[in-house]
Amino acid sequence: MIKSGYFKKHLRVDLSSGQADWLDLSDSFIEEYVGGRGFGARLLWDHLRERDFKVDPRGPENLLVVAPGPFTGLYLPSSGKNSFISLSPATGLYGDSSMGGTFGVELRQTGIDLLSITGRAEELSILFIDNEKTSIIPFPELKGKSCLEAEGMIKKRLGSHAVSVAVIGPAGENGVNFACVNTDWSRNAGRTGIGAVMGSKNLKAIVARGDRDLPVHDLSALRAEAGQADSYLRSHPYFRLWQREGLMTVIDYANSIGILPTCNFKDSVFTHFEQINSQVMLDGYKIADSACFACPMCCGNICLVKDGRHGGVVTEGPEYESAAMLGSNLGVDNYAAILAANCLCDELGIDTISTGNLIGAVIEGYENGIITLDELDGMEITWGEEESILELIRKIAHREGIGDTLAGGAPAVIKRWPAMDELILQVKGLEQSAYDSRPALSMALAYATSDIGAHHTRAWTIAREMEEGRDWPLEKKIDLVIYHQTLRPLFDMLGACRLPWIELGLNERHYENFYRHVTGRERTLEQLLELSNRIYDLTRLINTRLGTTRKDDSIPFKVHSRPAMTGPNAGKVIDPEEFDRALSLYYKKRGWDDQGRVSPETAAAFEA
Amino acid sequence: MNERFKLTVIPELCSGCRICELACAVAHFGVNNPKKAAVRVLVAYPHPVIRMPVICSQCRKPPCGDVCPVNAIHRVGGVVKIDRDLCISCFKCLEACPFGAIYAHSDCPQPIKCDLCGGDPECVKACPKEAIRMIPEQALGETRRLGNLLSYTHMKEIEYFEKGEKKVIRYTEVGKEEL
Repeated sequence: MIKSGYFKKHLRVDLSSGQADWLDLSDSFIEEYVGGRGFGARLLWDHLRERDFKVDPRGPENLLVVAPGPFTGLYLPSSGKNSFISLSPATGLYGDSSMGGTFGVELRQTGIDLLSITGRAEELSILFIDNEKTSIIPFPELKGKSCLEAEGMIKKRLGSHAVSVAVIGPAGENGVNFACVNTDWSRNAGRTGIGAVMGSKNLKAIVARGDRDLPVHDLSALRAEAGQADSYLRSHPYFRLWQREGLMTVIDYANSIGILPTCNFKDSVFTHFEQINSQVMLDGYKIADSACFACPMCCGNICLVKDGRHGGVVTEGPEYESAAMLGSNLGVDNYAAILAANCLCDELGIDTISTGNLIGAVIEGYENGIITLDELDGMEITWGEEESILELIRKIAHREGIGDTLAGGAPAVIKRWPAMDELILQVKGLEQSAYDSRPALSMALAYATSDIGAHHTRAWTIAREMEEGRDWPLEKKIDLVIYHQTLRPLFDMLGACRLPWIELGLNERHYENFYRHVTGRERTLEQLLELSNRIYDLTRLINTRLGTTRKDDSIPFKVHSRPAMTGPNAGKVIDPEEFDRALSLYYKKRGWDDQGRVSPETAAAFEA
Repeated sequence: MNERFKLTVIPELCSGCRICELACAVAHFGVNNPKKAAVRVLVAYPHPVIRMPVICSQCRKPPCGDVCPVNAIHRVGGVVKIDRDLCISCFKCLEACPFGAIYAHSDCPQPIKCDLCGGDPECVKACPKEAIRMIPEQALGETRRLGNLLSYTHMKEIEYFEKGEKKVIRYTEVGKEEL
């Protein structure tokens, strides 16, 4: 029996009618689905079933779920996470994306565990949740405003600095496939196009102000446990390095082991990596640390370009993914230019990963003669050319010229230029993130079987496989993928960040104790993982009902047929037959059939 | 506690994680609610980029005490304290504080104000960036003084080599003072 940890409230808003209802969450619901993406997946499943799975991701009937977890906002390491769940415009399948910062905390402090939104506002509006008071405020003046500018205007209009704003940029309004939701200036729920869902609902921002005590069963016991976790983190030899460099430290590492995407994954080492790495950032750009709520690790790096043609550009970031996708992957060897591109993406509200991936593909497509100069609107674009890259980013967000096609993501690009299928690294329509999977089968499998498409959020197994070597037994690789796909989403259900665990090795056992002290219910880590595993079954079930089959769990063309040219992994690709064997074994271990369908019993349990 | 110690913040170090708020609220109210803390981190961006923990300076001549109509605020042993029995909850002290370092919450009948936790503040212990510190009063401004000294412009420089490594000595010349 869950004794605490939840308000047991679900705020349901219909933007079409303006109706807002506070619903009660049942004990069995919070027991089974925990929070975050668990809540979102179940709500989406019910929503889609009621509509016979005929829902347009950009239609008013699509459901957007905003769900922090029971840990969000608590005094334990890195509890600032919050998930957005919806039918993804990018993949047409289950989609979710999480953000850090303070928005989830503020939202939870209004006294809810879950916010769900349907419908479409008549004109561009914001949803303001001020403790128990909910209002939908028409705000057409926000049209076309950048995330930062809109945030400022909203705060001014509401007359308070003490609110938290999750906002979309022009890209979200324009329905760009990979539009993100932005908060606290530069924290984003970046992937799967949640920003476009908000845009399609005429919802420019969700604003929260809450001051409730967060429910905790035994606060002193939680503090004792969290204190131990905290001491561990602070005494870790890499703690200070982490604070200083954050994820930027990965550039050197990824380059050294040959997994750094370079020139649209033509290569996996970048000759000029020393011009875009953490040392460059520390020497010339970083001006402050930045942390999400309750996080001692402060992985954010606020950077300022002090002079030159990008002089005056200031933003938080880039972190590894952005630096790699907008840097080495585009052949950009100038940190200031990466910063400018990152800043522009944040302002316009588009995902840096998809943006970098697609622009890389366009440059190679042009190089190979697939895309003509005319189709590029007469704008020549080659590797490392900052000006054209920045211009292309603007065009995507505003859907101008070639940007209109790119805004439709990988599927639209491939539809227009079928030959681009061989150049774009994507799975299920979602562009791949910045870890080259060609030297590591487990990473290729992780991308192929991720429920949202080619993103590393579900499983990041590459470091371990590179350590173990290519001859590491297949079975172990698959077990690791499944373990990651179970544990990592658990963090998204609980509302805590996974980085203390994955980066500094914080023992995951702490989380079963946190859970006990927060909810008053005894559950082992294994039991929590079982719940997370059920959600993975559920998202799979949603996806198969929407048409996903075995052939969609695929590897991109380059991964099996175009090896990196230089570096430690030159010449390495994934053998398609080996991948196929791995996929069969993966399904078997998951208890899915040979087509990747969950068992009839599992499906029946969710249908009941 | 030592009266000559001051709680001070170094905003340049602050990451904006708000752990100090959590630590304060847990210690004083026994609840997980950053909105019940006597310290708040204000965050501004992008112009200027700053994160600033705002907390009581325990002034010797506290303006909050000056405006208190029932004389409930006094500095005792280095801590400016609100006498909870005398306080009439008029919240004049919130407005009077030049730093905005006294707070209110709808659940709390009286103002929320830093009491230095009896001399060993929880926020200082909790801060992962050492951005909030207890330091002796006479050490306040030490960094600035040192910075000022090192950036003194009228220094002369000579270069020399030690074990093959180039080094620089900076010095001031007596009798060549400039005004």
